[in-house]
Amino acid sequence: MFDDVTKVFPGGTVAVDGLSLEIEDGEFMILVGSSGCGKTTALRMVAGLEKPTKGTIRIGERIVNQLSARDRDVAMVFQNYALYPHMTVYRNLAYPLRQQRLPKDVVRHRVQEVAEMLSLEPLMNRRPAQLSGGQRQRVAMGRALVREPAVFLLDEPLSNLDARLRVQMRAGLKRLHGRLGVTTLYVTHDQVEAMTLGDRIAVLSEGRLQQLGPPQELYDRPANVFVAGFIGSPPMNLLRASARDGRVSAGDFLLERAGLPDGALIVGLRPEALRPAVDGMPSIDFRVDVVEPLGDELIVHGSLAAELIAASSDSDVAEGALPVANGTSVEAVARLAPRDRPAEGSVIRLGIEPENVYVFDAKTGVAIR
Amino acid sequence: MTARAEVTRGVDYRRPSLWQRIIASEHLAGWAFVAPAVILIAVFALIPIGWSLLLSFQANNLLAPGHYIGLANYKALSKDPQFRAAIGHTIVYTVIFVPVSVLGALGLAVALNRKLRGIRFYRLAVFIPLVTSTVATGIVFLWLLDPTFGLVNYALHALGLPQQGFLQNPNQALYCIVVMTVWGWLGFDVIVYLAALQGIPQDLLEASEIDGASKWATFRSVVLPLLGPATLFLVVWSTINALQLFDEIYVTTRGGPLGATTVLVFYLYQQAFQFFNAGYGAAIAYVLFVGILIITLFQLWVGRKRVYYTS
Amino acid sequence: MASTSTATVDRLVRLDAPEEPRRRLPLSPWHLFLGPVAVIMLLPLIWMVILSLETSSEAQSFPPVVLPTGLHFHNYVTTWNSEPFGNFFLNSAIYSLTTVAGNLLFCSLAGYAFARLKFWGRDVLFIVLLATLMVPFQVLLIPTFLIVKHLGLVDSVGGLIMPNLCSAFGIFMLRQFFRTLPIELEEAARIDGTSRLGILFKIVLPLSLPALATLGIIQFMWSWNDFLWPLIIIDTASHDPLQLGLSALQGAHRSHWNLVMAGTVMSQIPMIVAFLIAQRWFIRSIAFTGIKQ
Repeated sequence: MFDDVTKVFPGGTVAVDGLSLEIEDGEFMILVGSSGCGKTTALRMVAGLEKPTKGTIRIGERIVNQLSARDRDVAMVFQNYALYPHMTVYRNLAYPLRQQRLPKDVVRHRVQEVAEMLSLEPLMNRRPAQLSGGQRQRVAMGRALVREPAVFLLDEPLSNLDARLRVQMRAGLKRLHGRLGVTTLYVTHDQVEAMTLGDRIAVLSEGRLQQLGPPQELYDRPANVFVAGFIGSPPMNLLRASARDGRVSAGDFLLERAGLPDGALIVGLRPEALRPAVDGMPSIDFRVDVVEPLGDELIVHGSLAAELIAASSDSDVAEGALPVANGTSVEAVARLAPRDRPAEGSVIRLGIEPENVYVFDAKTGVAIR
Repeated sequence: MTARAEVTRGVDYRRPSLWQRIIASEHLAGWAFVAPAVILIAVFALIPIGWSLLLSFQANNLLAPGHYIGLANYKALSKDPQFRAAIGHTIVYTVIFVPVSVLGALGLAVALNRKLRGIRFYRLAVFIPLVTSTVATGIVFLWLLDPTFGLVNYALHALGLPQQGFLQNPNQALYCIVVMTVWGWLGFDVIVYLAALQGIPQDLLEASEIDGASKWATFRSVVLPLLGPATLFLVVWSTINALQLFDEIYVTTRGGPLGATTVLVFYLYQQAFQFFNAGYGAAIAYVLFVGILIITLFQLWVGRKRVYYTS
Repeated sequence: MASTSTATVDRLVRLDAPEEPRRRLPLSPWHLFLGPVAVIMLLPLIWMVILSLETSSEAQSFPPVVLPTGLHFHNYVTTWNSEPFGNFFLNSAIYSLTTVAGNLLFCSLAGYAFARLKFWGRDVLFIVLLATLMVPFQVLLIPTFLIVKHLGLVDSVGGLIMPNLCSAFGIFMLRQFFRTLPIELEEAARIDGTSRLGILFKIVLPLSLPALATLGIIQFMWSWNDFLWPLIIIDTASHDPLQLGLSALQGAHRSHWNLVMAGTVMSQIPMIVAFLIAQRWFIRSIAFTGIKQ
């Protein structure tokens, strides 16, 4: 639906840069990225609250660039819910329908339906100020649902909820989508939400699309350093490396892989892929710093004898996803089984299956298969 | 465990004397802090409130001490045609002034609440009359509306319309005062409304737009209700001020022509300080007070039921 | 509510456009509305200035002279000399500044006590003081005159000032404001041994500058433009504050409108200039009274 869309704000900020994205009918599409990556702006352009500087946006077959938000048949759930504070829950839910001038009994019927779906019946006569966060969120969803729109837009709807509610609502959202099958565009900065909810995920950074695909594909085959560092928790460990004649070395880590270009590279090791070294594995020394027991596994923080690159979404990744060398920091993270618990301060040797090692071009950050 | 014992042994702990306790006491401090304010307000507000009531039961000419005449002042008031006329003028003025200034300010605030080239200039133009004094307003309008030399009559003349007497016409004078005072006070209402408008979260307006509401529907269903508290405040405030109108009358018409602009406070002034009927004046003041109180309470009661307060 | 409202007042106060990302239309239809409105609002003031620069006969001619033949600035000199304008300004300055100082001082003390100190009768006293706000000034007018007369302050600037040295409004406003400050700072100072007075002056007041400025501006505007009370209290021309003097000027020179206008311009300029310079503060103060109610 996005066709080479660019949005430049007055003041020169390029919020969205040449975004092209096709969303299938009935699909649950996630826009994910860190703050300021343009995902919210993209969403608002679909809603009609922002106009693209360049490019077109289509809903169905129609180009909607010039259509005002009212006429686009989209519904939106805001991050702060934007419930009308002076109206009861009933009137909040009924509001969009009344704007369409639907007859009163139709309005009442639909509001009833939605209220049942979201368990809102006992709250009908209350005002938003009297509701809890989770209840308000459901009213916001209800107000969007009641319109039966062509597209559902959600702007970080779960970010204001506490952790437990978030998990509950996530499941609820997934169930709803399964039931209703409305095309949904969902914006979040939380990669867990993205992975669990989306049919497909679009990873954005600085206004540009980094990768588009189903969750598993983004995990298994990240297209570049940015996506690799963003998907997966704890984030992938990325090391500066160099290659020669099919041999990659990063500190004391050695990997044989044919077909790699010579020169500077970036090597990626997922924390969950690291385990106590066994003969024959590419391995590396790991000095243990802190061990966090989680019950079924351990998160071990420490340092590697190599130069690490912080390529997570929090640090600046310049255009082309060139990694910034974070030379002073050599921290890394590994996920180990409780029985392998190392002593803090000790040095252990961690290995990894060679096929689990990701290699990226050092200059562009693009993945090298 | 041994540390605690050492602490109590080390400190020289003596129970403070009664005097020291009094000085340190919060009660004394509290009263000391409020003392100047309390004295000033007691002398210049509380005592006058009571004294005024006493005065209204007296015949007093401000020079010699008065003597008590019971409710005679109030009885005279109830029969006084000039008093009733003054009430009438005050009410007419208020009933016109309040809606005109509040609604006008609402419209202006909406107009001024947007991104236009030169919006700063427009806003300043609306605000500046507010800082001019009532005396200046009166003087300037006195001349603007002068029947012979005034700019307004000249404009009417240029348009071929008949000349008006304005402030010298008993039927028009009060309305001219309305115009004059609206001009002087509009800025205040506009500022309050602008602040209230900008307090409405952008989200709500966007949500309403997405929900399919036209600009007008959004205004009516979302903006206006959320401006309720500001509107109530402005209505109450304007009413109270309108009922106390004085300065402009003094500077322009002195209650004329033919008593057409004698409002309550002006009548009070005449009685107390020109005819030296202080007791009578005090009675007028008390009637005004009670009137303002009742009207304000009524407005607040209506407002409570219909205005929704967010937060 | 307090923190969000100051934020919105600040946005308003910047006199900038609000943050809506609207397209800037080259000539919006709103100009057709706002333009005439601006003209109407400014016309009286502009006319006032024009008249002040005309000769006496020009000022009183029909049709009105819109463009005077010459700029007769000497009108101002004549006007200044015809009435003790120097005294007018001085009296108003004294009146305004002392009432502002008095209010800031006494309302701070009292407001702080009501906000933070516990003393016998505190709440009842507060309500009584607030109740005085409900009573219109006209009720107090005559007795206040009599009291001032007994104090021997009739026809003096002192008589102007005394009743206005402390207002319940200021106490209410500062009390509300002080309560929004984090109490930990004061508690820490108390533990360090600072006296209560010290806490007020060294810690609370420096943090309260916006509220103090607001109160100061409101009181200043009120005192500078006050008319009724000076009218009652002052007899001698040289003791008049500015607005009363202006009214006297009007009475003395009924046939010389150019002079009256010159006097009016002179008397309004300080306030208008102050407003233009400190727009932010003025607007914030005025908006504040609306929001707080």
